[in-house]
Amino acid sequence: MVNTQLLELISASIIVSALYIQGQAYFKPAIYAQAIQSALISVLAFYLGFALSLIDYVILGIIIVVLRSFIITYFLFRGLKAKPGIRESTRGVASELVVNLAFFFLAVFILYYFVLGRIGLTTEAGTATLTIFSFILFFQGLFLIVTRRSTVAQIIGFIEEENSIVLFGVLTVPIPFLIEVSIFLDVLGLVVITSLLTLQKLEHTRLEELMG
Amino acid sequence: MASDEALLIETIIQVSAAILLSPLYQGIYEKLKAFVEGRRGPSFLQPYYDIFKLLKKEVVVTENSSFLFIYAPYVVFGIYLLISFLIPVVYPSPIYLTPTVDFLGGALLFSLASFLKLISSVESGSNFVALGVSRVLSFIFFSEATLITVFFGVALITGTNNPYVTLQYLTQDVSHYLQLDHVLITISFFMLWLFETGKLPTESPGLSEMGMIDDALLYEYSGKLLGILKWGSYVKQYLLGSVLLNVFLFPWLLQTGPLGALLDVFIMFLKWLLLILISVIINTTLAKLRLFKVQDFLAVSFILSIFSLIITVLIG
Repeated sequence: MVNTQLLELISASIIVSALYIQGQAYFKPAIYAQAIQSALISVLAFYLGFALSLIDYVILGIIIVVLRSFIITYFLFRGLKAKPGIRESTRGVASELVVNLAFFFLAVFILYYFVLGRIGLTTEAGTATLTIFSFILFFQGLFLIVTRRSTVAQIIGFIEEENSIVLFGVLTVPIPFLIEVSIFLDVLGLVVITSLLTLQKLEHTRLEELMG
Repeated sequence: MASDEALLIETIIQVSAAILLSPLYQGIYEKLKAFVEGRRGPSFLQPYYDIFKLLKKEVVVTENSSFLFIYAPYVVFGIYLLISFLIPVVYPSPIYLTPTVDFLGGALLFSLASFLKLISSVESGSNFVALGVSRVLSFIFFSEATLITVFFGVALITGTNNPYVTLQYLTQDVSHYLQLDHVLITISFFMLWLFETGKLPTESPGLSEMGMIDDALLYEYSGKLLGILKWGSYVKQYLLGSVLLNVFLFPWLLQTGPLGALLDVFIMFLKWLLLILISVIINTTLAKLRLFKVQDFLAVSFILSIFSLIITVLIG
């Protein structure tokens, strides 16, 4: 049977890794943290795959670890153009973290009581309440994109959002087909976007967004 | 022996151990730290010598200071003395006065003591102390919030706000100890304890103004008042550390009964050695942080405690 406490532990570690990325100004450790986060999701998939004897979960785990932990990490490092010591000038990590907290705290409570509570989501492994972790991760990714200006941090935020969809899919045993398809399409798009954006430039200022 | 007498003995042992042994732990910490840094260091009884020396000296008070400046140290010490009755810092069962206040009440008493300390030190009228107070305030707005959230978290896990029930609940089964929400809240409280007792690699205890956080409050105090405040801060460190050990980190091994209470003093000593060892390792191996990084550190501790609350409430 599935050990829910183990699932909780891995899911909480995923959230902690997202918090670490939010507080990290240097690119290199943030990229590694992203790789670890994806690896943790694949661990979750492997565990569920073996515990429930579902072969597609094992395959999904392998795909996640290859695509996200290795290929995307490689592309992000390539985007840094061999300058891994560089950092983004962030100010007020404490306030950023607290606003992040307020943001996902509120969002998750609203989702939990007004959405999840009403649709009565049930899964085969009894992991319905754990899907809340995927929402927390989603809002953290969103917040990372909003607060940072560097391309690398924004891409990591985007990957976190993607990871949250995968996490949601993994925890909704069995994986809904729609989510399965979107994961693969997004990963494909992600690699293209990553390689294009990071080749273009490393930091975007506010004014450039308005230029035609 | 009648149960009332037993209760009295247990009470006396707990309170006297908290008050009398608290400077010893600071002495051991300083000695061990000096040993790791390759110095000989002061004797582990040095905090006692300091307190006795200060208690014998006369008090010098600035002209501008009010009565609050003179009487607050006694009140602060009294509050810590009261807290030593309320929480399981030596003995694992309720003693005299324990039922008067719950866990949250204990947290509020800690907050009251630190508020009194702040307000009385500002009363001295010194600009330097005012600067120090503003520095302290820019940090403790996080730490007080974390303290209260941690105690909320404990209350939610066990369904009661009594630290003795938490202690019982944790020692019942290892799975209770390894619950995710409890683990997160323990890490959060440990981080808070490191800050509250000046064990962070940011702060340098003493009167060097660059890394001074808590000692800035004592700047204008002298003689007996300074001695009482210093003793009070050792007691506070002991109280918070023992709560961390008994309710969060290491709740096992405590004995009951009057003889058990005596044994508990020794067991607490061993537990404290473990805690001192951990904090010395943290303080000496980590690179020294910049002072404003304390806020980030406390923000992480605050977020972990709130995250634990979310997990407790939503997942259960």
